[in-house]
Amino acid sequence: MNYEMFDAKKIIGEVTAAEADLNPSIVVVSTDSAPRTGMGEFIAKYPNRYYELGIMEQAGAGVSAGLATTGKTPVFCAPAPFTTARPFEMFKIDIGYMRQNVKVIGRNCGFNYSDLGPTHFGLEDMALVRLIPGVVILAPMDASQLRGAMRAMLRYEGPVYLRIGTAPIPKIFDDEDFEIGKGFVVREGSDVAIITTGEISRNVFEAAEKLAAEGINVMVVAMPTVAPIDEELVIRAARQTGRIVTVEEHYIVGGLGSAVCEVCAKSAPVPVRRIGVPMEFLSAGQYMDLVRHCKLDADGIVETVKDFVNNP
Amino acid sequence: MDELKRFALEIRIETLNMLSRHGFGHVGGSLSIADALAVLYGKQMRYDPKNPKWEGRDYLVLSKGHCGPALYSALAIKGFFPREELLTINKLGTRLPSHTDKNLTPGIDMTTGSLGQGVSCALGMALGLKVQGKPNLVYAIIGDGEAQEGQVWETMLIAPNKGLDNFIVLLDNNRQQLDGFTNDISSLGDVCKKAEAFGWFVVDVDGHDVAAIDQAIEECKRSDKPGFINLNTIKGKGWPAKEAVLGNHALRGAAFEGVDEALADLRRQLEEMQ
Ligand SMILES: Cc1ncc(C[n+]2csc(CCOP(=O)(O)OP(=O)(O)O)c2C)c(N)n1
Ligand SMILES: [Mg+2]
Repeated sequence: MNYEMFDAKKIIGEVTAAEADLNPSIVVVSTDSAPRTGMGEFIAKYPNRYYELGIMEQAGAGVSAGLATTGKTPVFCAPAPFTTARPFEMFKIDIGYMRQNVKVIGRNCGFNYSDLGPTHFGLEDMALVRLIPGVVILAPMDASQLRGAMRAMLRYEGPVYLRIGTAPIPKIFDDEDFEIGKGFVVREGSDVAIITTGEISRNVFEAAEKLAAEGINVMVVAMPTVAPIDEELVIRAARQTGRIVTVEEHYIVGGLGSAVCEVCAKSAPVPVRRIGVPMEFLSAGQYMDLVRHCKLDADGIVETVKDFVNNP
Repeated sequence: MDELKRFALEIRIETLNMLSRHGFGHVGGSLSIADALAVLYGKQMRYDPKNPKWEGRDYLVLSKGHCGPALYSALAIKGFFPREELLTINKLGTRLPSHTDKNLTPGIDMTTGSLGQGVSCALGMALGLKVQGKPNLVYAIIGDGEAQEGQVWETMLIAPNKGLDNFIVLLDNNRQQLDGFTNDISSLGDVCKKAEAFGWFVVDVDGHDVAAIDQAIEECKRSDKPGFINLNTIKGKGWPAKEAVLGNHALRGAAFEGVDEALADLRRQLEEMQ
């Protein structure tokens, strides 16, 4: 599938700068990380609303909470492990517990930093943030949704975590509307439902075409908000197909797959297969090698879904 | 000392060669520590490349783990593993990932890559050896950007309190971090005075002068305090076009343009010394 490609960092920077024009409380906090996140335009326009701290992510989370206490809307952006795992307690207490109006962006999530190995992979960020009550988790799937999600996040009152890769991002959907907490059906089907989130979902869309060509009628559900998850939609997918596959560029524990299983266990028990990163440490490698290793490529997804449908 | 200078040149050559062939890597900070690594692995450290886990070895923690390629080069040159293996960097299944990894590489004793963490672990190693009455020394290399992490300053506080005279921290003070110059981002101020005030034995040296680095380590060894060596270095040292310029932190693809000339120049320097 040939999509028009966009620079995710540029989108993050553009939307932040545009929203900052409308909302003077928006400020940017950086830990030797913001210019690389496309904040160049914002920094040039609003040098006094940009605070570079140096490499100190725990302070990054704490300082953001302090700024929010004084009425600011801080955007704290750095690689995913360094905005979640490193300052986890500050995220939990300073941002989460106090329900501070802080917007945390974990960029280069998943295997995005494939060359940099386990210290730089962002494979548990959603699991960690899901443990902090009340924090919204967004994982937009394409360029349009990223724009919409950035806008929605900056207009929302309360703590939000947005995860995104920084490789070129396709434009799949035309609609930039983004409603926090709502998933949507990309494709109706009755044999099996694939629920997916984040940029890896493009492989799901491709897999769904291949499966359809082989006569398997897949429902595809997009879930760009992982917390709070759209329970109604998960229940509908479970009832409609009786079988769910989840796909995410994240450990299979703690992220979308777990969230879906929790909903199913409570309200619509059906078998669920989770495709994601198995619970092992992976070493540095090339992005596509890592994705294939985890069966997150279209062919890997096709294989898992077929096996699931044929051997329920 | 000429031997150490040659070793440093070889480290630079292997580093640039492996990274440019792979097409990605942290060139700037790898080149700035080549001279310190040459002194450590060429003279100061006790180790056995055929038995990397030898009990009598000194330990090095590369806390600025992104500069693994320079350390891998030093280890390969000294025979910890074949030099050809350097070209496997970052290929799936390699023993040589960008950042140093205890689980994968012979001669690496600590996994690093998340800045600030390695130096705490190094302190733990120094403490562990000290309480067992062992003579091994622990070295840690940190970056000046890395020194913005609070965890570094926790280590700065603890080491003198625990009397760790077997611990030497080398600060690769190349005045640059990821996105710019350290003084523009968050200055360390007078870092030597700070270290002294924390109770360290401090030496301030030219980080590209192998004799001065060697002398500094000797002095630290004689001191009864933990040692802190401020290496005044140039990020990208040895590839003139990349020295102390913006954008020399990590290079990808086309940014390696000119590397062949730089390598030829380094090889010529090496020949002239032989
Ligand atoms: C905790 C953490 N935050 C951020 C990063 C991303 N990062 C990698 S290298 C680097 C800059 C380091 O600068 P410095 O310590 O001066 O290293 P050098 O100049 O020697 O390359 C940054 C921000 C990281 N690896 N770990
Ligand atoms: Mg530096």
